[in-house]
Amino acid sequence: MDIIVCVKRVPDTSEADVVITGKDIKKDDLPFEINEWDNYAVEEAVQLKEKFGGTITVISVGDEDANEVIRRGLAMGADEGVRIYDPAIEGSDGVTIAKILAAAIKNMKYDLILTGAQAGDLGEGIVPVALAEMLGIPHATLVTGLEIQDGKAKVKRELEGGLMEVLEIDLPAVIGIQTGINEPRYVSIMGIRKASKKEIKLLGLGDIGLTPEDVGEAGSLTVLEELSVPPVTKVAEIIEGDPAEAASKLAEILKEQGVL
Amino acid sequence: MEIGGETFAQKFDLFTCMQCGKCTGGCTVSLKSPLNVRRMMREALIRESSDVVLTMKELWDCTTCGTCTSRCPRGLDPAEVIIAMRGILIEEGRGVPKTIMEALESTVKNGNPWGRSRMKRTEWLQDFDQEVKDLTDGKSAELLAFIGCTPSYDPRVQEVARAFVRVFNAAGVDYGILGTEESCCGSEMHAMGEEGLFEMLVEENLELFNEFEITKMVTISPHCYNAFSNKYSEYGDVNFEVKHYTQFLVDLIDEDRLKLTKELGKVVTYHDPCYLGKHNSIFDEPRKVLEAIPGITFVEMDRSRERSLCCEGGGGMMWNEGAEGERTAVVRVRDAAEQGAEIIAVACPFCMLTLEDAVKTAGYEGQIEVKDILELLSESL
Repeated sequence: MDIIVCVKRVPDTSEADVVITGKDIKKDDLPFEINEWDNYAVEEAVQLKEKFGGTITVISVGDEDANEVIRRGLAMGADEGVRIYDPAIEGSDGVTIAKILAAAIKNMKYDLILTGAQAGDLGEGIVPVALAEMLGIPHATLVTGLEIQDGKAKVKRELEGGLMEVLEIDLPAVIGIQTGINEPRYVSIMGIRKASKKEIKLLGLGDIGLTPEDVGEAGSLTVLEELSVPPVTKVAEIIEGDPAEAASKLAEILKEQGVL
Repeated sequence: MEIGGETFAQKFDLFTCMQCGKCTGGCTVSLKSPLNVRRMMREALIRESSDVVLTMKELWDCTTCGTCTSRCPRGLDPAEVIIAMRGILIEEGRGVPKTIMEALESTVKNGNPWGRSRMKRTEWLQDFDQEVKDLTDGKSAELLAFIGCTPSYDPRVQEVARAFVRVFNAAGVDYGILGTEESCCGSEMHAMGEEGLFEMLVEENLELFNEFEITKMVTISPHCYNAFSNKYSEYGDVNFEVKHYTQFLVDLIDEDRLKLTKELGKVVTYHDPCYLGKHNSIFDEPRKVLEAIPGITFVEMDRSRERSLCCEGGGGMMWNEGAEGERTAVVRVRDAAEQGAEIIAVACPFCMLTLEDAVKTAGYEGQIEVKDILELLSESL
């Protein structure tokens, strides 16, 4: 079984004082990492490979820094890494990123494409759906369970209100992986150092049959106009008093709200 | 079984082991964990494949206190054998507790295992009335004060970092810090078996120390001290001399540069941190410093110095639940209570956290306090 996993390098803003500069946030001091959902997707691919054999290709759209997350995928167990880049892709929206990925993937051999269900930076969740549409294959999003049987995939999808649905879909398909589907393995520094000896194939727009007009703001359906920090509203209540008192007050509130 | 192309037998001289069991007999956690150090030594010697390690969950119960190593009549290093076995799990990527993985990943990303941002490393200095030179602001100093991750980020241990500043400022020591450019020393990364990460931190830190022309260093944590003093030279050229703060303070007291005037009027005992005591035989300096504080009645616990009971804070145990059962730190607090101690003095950030928790668990809150030696000195200034 040949699997393609799409990964993205994202900044970690969990503890950052987010500063907006123009249409982006200031990223100089931020640490970067593999998008959390993509990490689960790579792990899922490696587990499938361990079971069924085949190959894994990790693919990312981005500048040289994206090699970091591709290398991490290689260290986890992927066989090949592909990076697509052209300066013109800056400003591409989710649909355009899917267009770029589709243009590269359509010439590749695959039985299954895994992506993260969404990305930790923009959180749009567009790529798996758009990519499947462009490749003309089925898809499933927010997948928390994946079983492969006789050329089909049985997927568990997370729905609202704690509901779960089970679908059977034909392969090849695009599966948007939700966190918690597995327990991603640890990737050691030595593992990453070994993986950096593997060559990462670089594709330009010409290699995948696109022009600069097809990508970036020019080729996108949506254009980012403004970025702002949401206004801070006062809904937090600080419960005071000694721990025992505070705990019983908290329990009361939770009961009132129907949580307990 | 092999590691890095070398057999465990060669690397750790395992044919020398006579299976006497003194290691297991002294092990801090052997009463509650299936961890059997003597057996590990045997397994590492006779097993062809390292697959057996994948089933050894108990590898993560070891606190790397070094009791086994210090008791070995053949001079072997069982603690390092356990660490190397952890290394097999780390390289496989499997069988590693999630919380350990998070600590390691945080260190890769932020330079500290606490999941905190690198940019907030100096938050302990906020709203602080003392002056501290930051070498990365172009200032120079004779001595580098290596603060360490836990004193930088943990709210309780940040008080120890501030006490360090008060004491060193009062003695007029010319020192500086590396601000937000300071990174984890790697001690615990090595102990958790992440050898590649340790190596990376050593390379980066040595480069940083060279850039700032560091020749003398003092650390707050015995774990940082041990890494710099004993481990770094295996990986690169160490161009600086390092001391734990207790060693540094003994000299200051001998030279009469530290004026301790306020009487504390407390019964104090001292808990030897493993990485200062068992790993480095620094037993007298902390006691000498404590005795210099006026109004202290010093009492010694039965298990002290080489026989000191580990608090279970080392070896990555700060990020791992470890073996179920009573915490040794709780036993330790009872030991202190038996001697009538009102204060357990510590000289290690991890001991501070484990023992302070244990005071609450053991029901001695309000009767026994855990304080770092630096805090006692600061109170006595």
